[in-house]
Amino acid sequence: MSGFDMNNYVDVEPLEIETGLPDEVCPIMYTDEYKQVMSVARRLMQEGEYSERALQLTSKAIALAPAFYTVWNYRYSIVEHLAKESGDVEGYMNKEMDWLDEVTLGNPKNYQIWSYRQALLKIHPAPSVKRELPILQIMIDDDTKNYHVWSYRKWCILFFQDFTNELTYADSLIQRDVYNNSAWTHRMFVMKHTNPSKHEVREEIEYTKKKIEIVPQNVSSWEYLRGLYEVFLDCEYDEETIKFAEKFTDDILKLDITVDKEVSALPNIESSYALEFLADVFAKIPSPENTNNAKKAYTALSLKYDPIRSALWNHKMGQLA
Amino acid sequence: MDSKLKKEKHWKFLKRHLNLLPSSHQKQDPNRLALVFYSILGLSALEYDKIDGYKVHLPWIRRRYQKMKIPESKEYISGFVGSPLVDIPGLNTFSLSNTLFGLIVLITLKDYDFFTTILDHDSISRFVSSCQTINGSFKSSLDPVTGLPSPVDSDDLRFCYIAVAILYLTGCRTMDDFEKFIDVKNLLKYIKEQECTVGGYGKFDEPHSGYTSCALATLSLLNCTEFITNEFKEKTLCWLLQRQVSNEGCMILQDDKNATYDETDNGGFQGRENKFADTCYCFWCLNSLSILTPDWKGLCDTDLVNSYLLDQTQNTIIGGFSKTDEDDPDIYHTYLGIAALKLIDGTLDGPLCMPISSLQEFLNNSG
Ligand SMILES: [Zn+2]
Repeated sequence: MSGFDMNNYVDVEPLEIETGLPDEVCPIMYTDEYKQVMSVARRLMQEGEYSERALQLTSKAIALAPAFYTVWNYRYSIVEHLAKESGDVEGYMNKEMDWLDEVTLGNPKNYQIWSYRQALLKIHPAPSVKRELPILQIMIDDDTKNYHVWSYRKWCILFFQDFTNELTYADSLIQRDVYNNSAWTHRMFVMKHTNPSKHEVREEIEYTKKKIEIVPQNVSSWEYLRGLYEVFLDCEYDEETIKFAEKFTDDILKLDITVDKEVSALPNIESSYALEFLADVFAKIPSPENTNNAKKAYTALSLKYDPIRSALWNHKMGQLA
Repeated sequence: MDSKLKKEKHWKFLKRHLNLLPSSHQKQDPNRLALVFYSILGLSALEYDKIDGYKVHLPWIRRRYQKMKIPESKEYISGFVGSPLVDIPGLNTFSLSNTLFGLIVLITLKDYDFFTTILDHDSISRFVSSCQTINGSFKSSLDPVTGLPSPVDSDDLRFCYIAVAILYLTGCRTMDDFEKFIDVKNLLKYIKEQECTVGGYGKFDEPHSGYTSCALATLSLLNCTEFITNEFKEKTLCWLLQRQVSNEGCMILQDDKNATYDETDNGGFQGRENKFADTCYCFWCLNSLSILTPDWKGLCDTDLVNSYLLDQTQNTIIGGFSKTDEDDPDIYHTYLGIAALKLIDGTLDGPLCMPISSLQEFLNNSG
């Protein structure tokens, strides 16, 4: 921390932390630095001092205990006050965002940073999505499935109402790891908020099928495919997609499959999710043939392709007309 | 299961977290009641016979409960602060999560007297009520100056759950009871907005089993699970059951391809699609399932969950449970691991995440 000096606070009477009493539970062996910083921070918070030195002290306190929520509140109030005083609210807020970038890079697991960021953007006089994208990019690159960072990205997109880069961005993450469920759900989030045309939905279906071809046993891409039909196409599954799913199931629905089928008599298939997808499609369009096919698919899942969930497949079978 | 569960080792591990801790724990200081909660509840769930010895700490825990006058008002507000660090005279620093932890620890140590003579129902409910935001959700603390929901906190399903659990423990049962303090309709609307396309609950359409458990536990405590449509219930049930990691059938085809697939995770639950199994998600998923259907044990393979926890994430040398089979044990995963095992054997109340026996005794005592 540049320019931080405990000597700037000698006039502050420390508000010590109560510790060392016989009834204390899990006492912590505080370091001298912790005791010093915290007891001064506690006093400044109590007195409501909104100053540059108070701001510096909160950085220190946050570094020592990022979960100390009161300090975040305090820092926010200091920033509000000082920004107003400085006469350059925008410049001041940008400086605070720079500080937050630094803390974020040094503390990727701390989730308090994201809600603090949201609070700052809400009071920033000229917030910009361009300012946010680089830090988001770095953080997602570093931990591609970080729930907090993805949530923040989606919050930003809604806040700025700027969806332009998002499908491309999600695609870049899917290219890097086709199993990245955060990237897949990000696509659904974008689709749901952008009112896609029938044509765009078709393109999305084609996109998904290509990704399924790369790895057929991938829950994320199949869930997404199913989601597209449910959300945008009223579950009207077309013949082409049914054929597509059948490619990964080695035509096993042509076989006679009953519960007493020898497991060894069933061929290896490429994707249990494809079979589940088919079962689900057949279950949705009741006809004696479809119901029979759905039954066979669930039986096969239960016997061989996804036996840990046999009770679920039985439950599904029980719901068939 | 009992022979594999290293009860005495876990007692030791848990007890260590209630003694003097090294300075590396400073980061957990603001929420110290969380540490106390995980340790005491773990000991209680594992029937530690000398748990009464911890009653010497009751005064310290009681002191974390504070009441203050709302500036420019005749009314009071009260709640727990997580530790003496956060206790700053004159400032409202109550924390919703630490309030729930504090109450449950006192119940577990059978300090019923606290509930009849010290706890102020009106002012603690006022605190819960103040944390609700206009979108129906909750934040976990208030701005110490304005007393409004903290502008720098996130609002999410965790705090919805915690708010409702506090009200439940302080006596709310019927919809009318809850409505005296919070806007239930708005809360239900918020919960509904967290429903995801593929089932489960989460932020912005990415389902997460932790949030799913919070959403369902909230509905369960409010006694309104019927608020969920049958279609969404079925989707969520399915989504949850799919979170049990398997190394059989086609699932093993992910081996060597999917970087977050590990065949030794077999039987454990994951928090999201295409993630490793994790001890805590065994609890979050099973708890969610148990709220959705009384038949949950027939729907998933609980024997495999037991083996995942006892053979993979239980530390048989120093005690405790770790997140995955590759981490060191920590107090959070230790309690959640124990909670999952106890939920399966029927001795844990899922929505409040505490032993049924303690809860029942408390409820009988509070009439
Ligand atoms: Zn975990």
